[in-house]
Amino acid sequence: MSSAKILHGIPVSAGVAIGRAYVLSRCHFSGTARQAVGGVDVPVEIQRLDRAFDAARDDLERILMLVPEDLKEHAAIIESHLMMLKDQKFRKRCLDHIASAQINAEWALERGVGEVEEIFAAINDEYLQQRMQDVRLVAERVLAKLSGRETGLKAITHRAILLAHDLTPADTIELEVNKIMAFATAQGGKTSHAGILARSLQIPAVVGVEDLVETVPEGQIIILDGFHGRVILSPDEEELARYTELQAQFESYQATIMRSCHLPAETIDGYRVQVLANIELFEEVVAVNDNGGEGIGLYRSEYSYLARSKMPTEEELTEIYMDLAALVAPKKLVIRTLDVGADKLMRSQTPSEGNPALGLRAIRYCLKNRDVFRTQLRAILKASVLGNVSIMFPMISGLQELVEAKKFYREVQRELHAEGVSFREDMPLGIMIEVPSAVSTADFLAREVDFFSIGTNDLIQYTLGIDRTNKDVSYLYQPLHPAIVRSIKWVVDSAHRAGIEVCLCGELAADPFCIPVIMGMQMDSISLGPHAIPGIKRIIRQASMEECTALLKQVMASQSVSRNNKLVRDMIFRRFPEELMFYASRLDEDFS
Amino acid sequence: MGDVQEMVILVTNSLGLHARPAGKISREAQRYAASITIHSQDAEADAKSILDVLTLAAPQGTELTLRAHGPDAALALEGLSRLFEEKFGEER
Repeated sequence: MSSAKILHGIPVSAGVAIGRAYVLSRCHFSGTARQAVGGVDVPVEIQRLDRAFDAARDDLERILMLVPEDLKEHAAIIESHLMMLKDQKFRKRCLDHIASAQINAEWALERGVGEVEEIFAAINDEYLQQRMQDVRLVAERVLAKLSGRETGLKAITHRAILLAHDLTPADTIELEVNKIMAFATAQGGKTSHAGILARSLQIPAVVGVEDLVETVPEGQIIILDGFHGRVILSPDEEELARYTELQAQFESYQATIMRSCHLPAETIDGYRVQVLANIELFEEVVAVNDNGGEGIGLYRSEYSYLARSKMPTEEELTEIYMDLAALVAPKKLVIRTLDVGADKLMRSQTPSEGNPALGLRAIRYCLKNRDVFRTQLRAILKASVLGNVSIMFPMISGLQELVEAKKFYREVQRELHAEGVSFREDMPLGIMIEVPSAVSTADFLAREVDFFSIGTNDLIQYTLGIDRTNKDVSYLYQPLHPAIVRSIKWVVDSAHRAGIEVCLCGELAADPFCIPVIMGMQMDSISLGPHAIPGIKRIIRQASMEECTALLKQVMASQSVSRNNKLVRDMIFRRFPEELMFYASRLDEDFS
Repeated sequence: MGDVQEMVILVTNSLGLHARPAGKISREAQRYAASITIHSQDAEADAKSILDVLTLAAPQGTELTLRAHGPDAALALEGLSRLFEEKFGEER
């Protein structure tokens, strides 16, 4: 019998950590020293509270400066916290309490927060009530300053497993990575920023753990299992031994896959697939090279357009594309043209769309806003002289649209030609296949382009008619649905019949359970997040095309998702038990 | 000069005026000398106070009146209404 108590949560970052729990405590209002003050103490208290507000504000401003580029999204939340600290009305309200009620700073702050809470509570709005948490977090920062105690992350002195109710964006910026072995939070879901952070730091993490902070005593040895989403309290010898073993296995597994990540992804019977990377930022190229990426299969060009007040100029874009192409060379760089909706672009004055996913976006937006499209096409063409650049149009829905886009592309080429600007005339031109109508007409489309790239995330959503961020229907997001398998197979076959190459990009390419099926289709290349490359390469290098083909045949003959899931699960279990162990969490989620 | 300007505006972003938009509104409002208030059917908020703006709890579709009083009142309303039109840079 095990004496351990296990708390369950959602695994967001793989790995195992065994260590002491560090409970992130914030100053809470329960138990604050409420004191009546009078006379000369009133101005003293007012000054104390005023200074605490300033100090808390300075802290947040400092943190805001430290927000790394890729966590920009969080900066907005920190900024709104900062605005609360700068809120003169709120501050004045708190300060006024000191004099009017003759109470100390802590008590006055508590009252001020209480009032806001009352106002918020009176408004029957769920979203606003959640925002009350923001107000309290901000007030707790001030309270910490009043108490003079350093709380939170700065107090960690040894390496530990961090447990917190929630990690605020400011917390995650402040995290001293070398002191955190892993973390668990009571709040949060699969897509919360804490999970994103953990994956980028490559430390194990579990979120959404019930009763977490209440039940775990500080300093206790615990186990955090980032594969299955568990936090194990007071583990016994046997469990410690088991997890130490698992940890060692995972570390050696990771070391192994990293060692072989620069070898080609070639099956034991000699079928070679090219493994490329999806990137959005310049800085990611380093990770691509470190993880054995053989080029950039998808460069999302949106970043240069978003989060800025003006459209980028041709010169700016040309410089970005040239730099990137030069950095990636001699490997290839596939630039996908703008894939955003009109509403995503700053300063656009377009009316809101009822259904943006089906609205004016990607190639549709570009064909409607020719100037924007022309600028980007010219920049890509100018960068093409480096020789390793390919261009790709997103969201093509049929032949006519493609012909229209190509016509404009030729027009832009002629313009450059007339201006005497050199470019590579035969730069490979491809399209994303992600709309079901493009799938059905893939045989027509294949004659018009040099390559296909299958965008599985959108394709699955559009084909199955589900929004996977909607938790009520996300269970229908089934990558191995017969409709999806058939679609991909048909696209690959159509491409090959026309003599062009096909790449698969999207999460499917990074899923160890799906990769043998994809291989069975004779995919020419796959493109995935840089960090997933070593693991996927390892599977490919140990698989045989013969078994992948046999698996595909069974899957193609099957009518049900659950049978398909069982087929791939059985194969992974038989052939890649390590992957089954380390990716169990995905299996549970995707295949339940 | 007692310049008073008024403008009726619609909350179009799908999440309504939550913390992030409220932060943007108050930060923008603080750039102007004018005193600026936002009125909903039954409440009034100081546009420079994020907490005040939050208490409006205006969901998508709410009609609000922006009122600015001061030398740069017209500019202030222009700046603020642009934020609303851009849906606070949210919906991509």
